[in-house]
Amino acid sequence: MKYLFMESKRPKVAVFDFTDCEGCELQFANKEETLVDFLKAIDIVNFREVMSEKSDEYDIAFIEGSISRADEIERLLTIRQKAKFLIALGSCACFGGVNRMKNKFPMSDVNKEVYGETPKETLPVRSIKELVHVDFEIPGCPVSKAEVERIVQHIIWEVPYQFPVYPVCFECKQRFTICRFELGELCLGPVSAGGCDAPCPAGGTPCWGCRGICAAPNFQEFFNLAKERGFSKEEVIERMDFFGGFRSVTGSK
Amino acid sequence: MRLFTPYDVTKESDMLMPLEFTRANRLMHVDKTYKAEITNIIRLTEMEKLFHIRIINEEERARFSFLPGQFVMLELPGYGEVPISISGSPSNRGYIELCIRKAGIVTSILHKARRGAKVGIRGPFGNSFPMEKMKGNNILLIAGGLGMAPLRAPLFYVTENRSEYQDVHILYGTRTPDQLLFTYQYDEWKRIDDINLQIIVEKPDITWSGKVGMITKLLDELPIKPLETYAIVCGPPVMFKFVCNRLRQFGIPMHRMFVSLERRMHCGMGKCCRCNIGSTFICVDGPVFDYWSVLNLKEAI
Amino acid sequence: MLFRIIKKEDFKTFVNLMLQTTEVIAPKFIKNNAKGKPIHQFLPISNYDEMVLDYEKCEFSAKTYFLPYKNTLSTFHMKDHDWTQEIQYRIQPRAIFGLHPCDINALVRLDKVFARDFYPNPYYISRRKNTFIVGIDHLPCDDGFCHAINANHITHGFDLFLTDLGDRYFVKINSDRAFMAISEVPIQEITDEDTKDYLAVRKQISQSYKVSVKTDDLPNLLDIEFESKVWKKWGDKCLNCGTCAMVCPTCYCYGVTERVSMDHSTGKKIAYLYSCNLLDFAMVAGGHNFRPNQETRLKYRYYHQHRGFVESYGEPMCVGCNRCGRSCLAGIDPVNVIRDLHEEEKL
Repeated sequence: MKYLFMESKRPKVAVFDFTDCEGCELQFANKEETLVDFLKAIDIVNFREVMSEKSDEYDIAFIEGSISRADEIERLLTIRQKAKFLIALGSCACFGGVNRMKNKFPMSDVNKEVYGETPKETLPVRSIKELVHVDFEIPGCPVSKAEVERIVQHIIWEVPYQFPVYPVCFECKQRFTICRFELGELCLGPVSAGGCDAPCPAGGTPCWGCRGICAAPNFQEFFNLAKERGFSKEEVIERMDFFGGFRSVTGSK
Repeated sequence: MRLFTPYDVTKESDMLMPLEFTRANRLMHVDKTYKAEITNIIRLTEMEKLFHIRIINEEERARFSFLPGQFVMLELPGYGEVPISISGSPSNRGYIELCIRKAGIVTSILHKARRGAKVGIRGPFGNSFPMEKMKGNNILLIAGGLGMAPLRAPLFYVTENRSEYQDVHILYGTRTPDQLLFTYQYDEWKRIDDINLQIIVEKPDITWSGKVGMITKLLDELPIKPLETYAIVCGPPVMFKFVCNRLRQFGIPMHRMFVSLERRMHCGMGKCCRCNIGSTFICVDGPVFDYWSVLNLKEAI
Repeated sequence: MLFRIIKKEDFKTFVNLMLQTTEVIAPKFIKNNAKGKPIHQFLPISNYDEMVLDYEKCEFSAKTYFLPYKNTLSTFHMKDHDWTQEIQYRIQPRAIFGLHPCDINALVRLDKVFARDFYPNPYYISRRKNTFIVGIDHLPCDDGFCHAINANHITHGFDLFLTDLGDRYFVKINSDRAFMAISEVPIQEITDEDTKDYLAVRKQISQSYKVSVKTDDLPNLLDIEFESKVWKKWGDKCLNCGTCAMVCPTCYCYGVTERVSMDHSTGKKIAYLYSCNLLDFAMVAGGHNFRPNQETRLKYRYYHQHRGFVESYGEPMCVGCNRCGRSCLAGIDPVNVIRDLHEEEKL
């Protein structure tokens, strides 16, 4: 990329997936109108889902998914050694994601529930940063490609990227979205990190907090207002545990 | 059939005039920017660089004039705009000097930019130090840290009009010696008739042989005639608060001390309110305020 | 200002005539809320029947049609290390029907900032001049305090203003273009009967205000109560979400950001409405935050609305619509905040 007499490097990028749905990495191949330019800015050298070549020479590793098996830990440690810059991509990688809900139960129970009489090896789910040093986290279920693009631009120029500080409510208001509380539903919008453009409440689903906690949350007031509207603390906590981004508040594993 | 006719703002005569940023109450291209070229880059410290920027269009360059204390909005197309106080001399109509610290996104990319790069300039904005009113008096120019950047404009003004002012003292303090800006110019400043340059650092390194301590220490050594002195103080709030309070103890009236305030700004025109404190807009009512006004601005310090 | 009478069926013809060539924004029924109350929003309509003129209040103001939440200020076209800047102003005509007096007064206040002060703003002026405003009288809402802040009457800032007299509207015609437009359908001179009916409606309105709160002393009171415990009390509740500023018909604080395309061929400079309640409103590059506490940020909003703006423009920015109070999930209602300040003063 050339800009203002500067020429940016074209970093070698690898994308790896662990325990996940592959939805976030699919975003890399999404947004066709800018896909060619995106691929010009970076050099993808290892990406199982879209190519067969594999190289172990890369600058940036995007990690999708959480860690739930011993062999995944080993793979992750190797990647960390090779990558100069490691990015956790999506809510599973950042927080453990939906997978994390199983940590509430004994591993033998969840194994039986899913695999019946043929149990598989499984560990309690952990996010990437619980195992290795993470240089940057991009939360979201799935991540927003537009945001990934902006972050890549910032990485290329080696300048800091700042996530928005506002909660989801702010973006709902800009879309004329009727407050889900107004419709009698529980919504995590007031304490969840915005920047997603609030598509869920606009589409008819309250916020479940996939991007984690916003920069200046007011949990005391949030529990109050939920209670006033008939939602118990347990109900709110259960909702917060869905993506695992609120563990500092809920105290869940 | 249309029930009412559209109004095209771009056909207004004001919009067709050559670009000029004034506060005048007429329609204008508020977000149009002068295209300018980075003609020179001087590395001052690890964190600060001095950029020489020349407006490309000759007519626009001739139109651009500023007073010490004013600032411009520097545009990096595609990445953003930042308010930067002008560090150069108002008599220099060839290029604009901007001393820029690597702090946010725009300034970080600017630090990578090379000579010849084209950026944008809007402005100048804001008020200025009352250099006219200060004539015939002793002048104290006091800077802490990056405060040297805005202070350099009135300093140029004073040295270029040296005979109009009485004694001139420049007091400059930073935390460490390697944070000192414009070190290569100290010799020149010292040699100017009756300019007393004093430098102090809080944390000396082994190479430092100068004074050590807080900037207020330098004040104690000065012969101050309170009613014949004006002071310009630039630096972080905690610094100018200590300095101004010390100056007050010497008997200098608060309306004779001027400071330049820093705030977040997104427009420079008193609209976006990011720099607003109550009814005061730092971008149009400031950035220069006398110390009495600063004390009256709630939460300014 | 001219006064005329228009029959409701002729008004319908007028709206449909307008719809043929102009985008029309009007209160539109969306759905009922959990308590069974109807929710209306100012949205584009495609025929007269979608318009609900006897709505109570739209939670979202019509501000976005003048100060969009996101507005492209300019586009940079970049090529070979050089660039050009392109600026476009919105000039497509638009009509907004059904604005209440508070909303029209809100526009008058925005005019003071963007059209009548230093550095007039062509983005706003262009939208404002190309918007045909039709207001309407209404019985006071439950929580508004427009009358307490002198924003319940209108004198200017609109094209047409309607008062419902049952089978007909009493119309105030406030611009040349409005007179030309409405003359396309039959209108009548007012009779003594019409005047009598109009005054009766006005009397009913002025006798029906529900909320009482004292606001004229706020500039002084806010100064004295700068360190008041009231700010802590309400500040502790604040969710830092910016909802109040987004629904407010006058809050105009904004930020500017830029987006560069992936290939660095175009950059867009975008103004986005912001809120002084958000954490980084006064944060500067390098990380210093001039207002790190939520109570300080909440106080600042009242300060700007009820003191700073008065000093600059002679009247408060707030028009008493109480959208912020109604939308705030934490229940920060300006009426209660102002009452608390008065209580504090008595102590």
